[in-house]
Amino acid sequence: MENLRYSEILQQNSAMKEKVIGAPYKVKVLANVTINSLKEILEYIFRINQINPVIEFGNYDNIVQDSRMSAHSDIVIVFVEMLNIVSSVSVFFEDINDGMYNDIKSRMCAEIDNVLENLKDCPSVIFNTFSSTPFVTGSSRKSKITIFTSELNKYLDDKKCPNVTLLDIDIIISQLGIRQAIDYRLFNSSKAPYTLSFFKNYVSALEPIILRNTGKLKKAIIFDCDNTLWKGIVGEDGFNGIDMSATSHDGRPFNMVQQIALFLSRRGVIVGLCSKNNEADVTDILLNHPDIVLKEEFIVIKKINWENKALNLRSISTELNIGLDSIVFVDDSSFEINYIREHLQEIVSIQVPTTIFEYPDYLLRHVYKYFNLTPNDEDSHKTALYKQQFQRENDRKKFETIDEYLASLKMVITIYKDDPSFIQRIAQLTQKTNQFNLTTKRYTESQILKFMEDGDCHVFAVSVKDEFGDNGLTAVAIITADKYNRMNISIDTFLMSCRIIGRNIEYAFIDYIMKWLKKESYQHIYSEYISTKKNSQVISFYDDLGFILLRDEENEKHYSINILDYEMKNIEYLKLEAITNGKNAK
Amino acid sequence: MDNIKEQIMKVMSTVFEVPSEKITENSSPDIIESWDSLKHLNLILALEEEFDITIPDEEVGNMHNFKLIELIINECKK
Repeated sequence: MENLRYSEILQQNSAMKEKVIGAPYKVKVLANVTINSLKEILEYIFRINQINPVIEFGNYDNIVQDSRMSAHSDIVIVFVEMLNIVSSVSVFFEDINDGMYNDIKSRMCAEIDNVLENLKDCPSVIFNTFSSTPFVTGSSRKSKITIFTSELNKYLDDKKCPNVTLLDIDIIISQLGIRQAIDYRLFNSSKAPYTLSFFKNYVSALEPIILRNTGKLKKAIIFDCDNTLWKGIVGEDGFNGIDMSATSHDGRPFNMVQQIALFLSRRGVIVGLCSKNNEADVTDILLNHPDIVLKEEFIVIKKINWENKALNLRSISTELNIGLDSIVFVDDSSFEINYIREHLQEIVSIQVPTTIFEYPDYLLRHVYKYFNLTPNDEDSHKTALYKQQFQRENDRKKFETIDEYLASLKMVITIYKDDPSFIQRIAQLTQKTNQFNLTTKRYTESQILKFMEDGDCHVFAVSVKDEFGDNGLTAVAIITADKYNRMNISIDTFLMSCRIIGRNIEYAFIDYIMKWLKKESYQHIYSEYISTKKNSQVISFYDDLGFILLRDEENEKHYSINILDYEMKNIEYLKLEAITNGKNAK
Repeated sequence: MDNIKEQIMKVMSTVFEVPSEKITENSSPDIIESWDSLKHLNLILALEEEFDITIPDEEVGNMHNFKLIELIINECKK
């Protein structure tokens, strides 16, 4: 987007206005400077990601007061610009005495506290870091403004709640250079310090956060092999002719790319290969090449054959049970890249740059944008999990009936209720699960915590173990009681990771919840199905369970059932091992 | 109509979100409703990017009708 002119962004943005509809995503921008040119650029980035934004700006330099009325937004973006703080002092900042320095600092800290407090219920807050870069101070001495700024940043970092993301403004300014990023002229006349280039880069930096908040992150990265993972063509140059050495001129960038792939694999991203080659040649390299970093064990899926790549990528999507729009594809050939862009538009295709020395950085920029890189324990062994999955798939063929097979897995499920130690994983599941997801409501960690702390709401999570290993936490249900009628309760969220679909775990889980609700004397259970492009497989989930359809609207089906009418599914071969109750345990 | 004129009109129509036929040589904030002080900043930034120029500080506030805009841009491009 940085390459588009502002007028092009405006045109494309207004052209998309009519097309991108759907639930509005509420954005509030609070600032102590004039940044209204940001509006259309920000709208543009939402719309190209198929999100319908409603963007509102707070009043100029009214951040604290406006933040009180902004907690209902889906995301709040806060710009506190040092240029304006300093200009409001009306004394040369370097010359102020300690008393004044401390006065300004304590005023700023109080403002930070106030804003964070007012926004503590907002699912996502972006706070820009304070920057002294626009103040020319020379590089060999620390100016007062530099010290002041770093103290404020430290304070902000210490005080921020989990719903706050700090966005480092200095990185954006340094990518552009001060003169390209700051417009001193318009700051002086209109308190508008930023250039269009700054806004474009700023919005690009914001994009991964938006994708994460709206559940649009990718799940898999699929690499071609020749001239993508190593220099050379194995079929022509041979095992010894290809280069991926960390110490050679030609091999070094490829070695780094493999390290990036390995890094992704360790964070739970599915790494796969799709290459026109003889499979034996490639496998030999993955197992035996002295310089290979991305070894066989880290690769979840391989399509090494002479079929066309659209076919192969499609079958990767089916076998992994993930959508095409969850896949990133990397290839050096412009033919293959264009073919995929034409045939499978949902896939993000990245072409290896011809200037190979730029390849690792170029790949990394996409990686930061499309993948969730905060590691959790679950992610770090996901590659092993996906491999177990294939083991199970292969075993399935040996059994006559599916029940016989499922029984042989000796599955044990553990249900956790309101257990705060799983907040991160639960939020991640709500953000990433698309297929087996009845309502597709996306929640942040702070929202999950709020459900757990609220006595009228409960968060259930399921982990599944079997013969082949531990699948980890893979299903979530959130229920919310009617505050005015204690007999009524609604199922707000019911979802399951695709990795355990087809094992009747959903029935054991709903049985458990129903038993629990009965015990707690709830009578009427309400539920809904909200249709999306991806969740059609659960369209009749509640019908099959015997829920009564109350209303069938265009994209929503509303149900209820009297708890006494619910017939337990009693899946015999699913063993319920333990129930841990977080709220009572406290 | 010469090229610069056309280009200015196109930018104005995009920034103010009005159909291009509504932009004339007489266009000013009195006639175009959406031309407020904030949109004026967007217009300045868009014109600078479009023509690859920097409009001098003292002219930014003067560009309040089509003819002045055209005059100043031609001045900057020299």
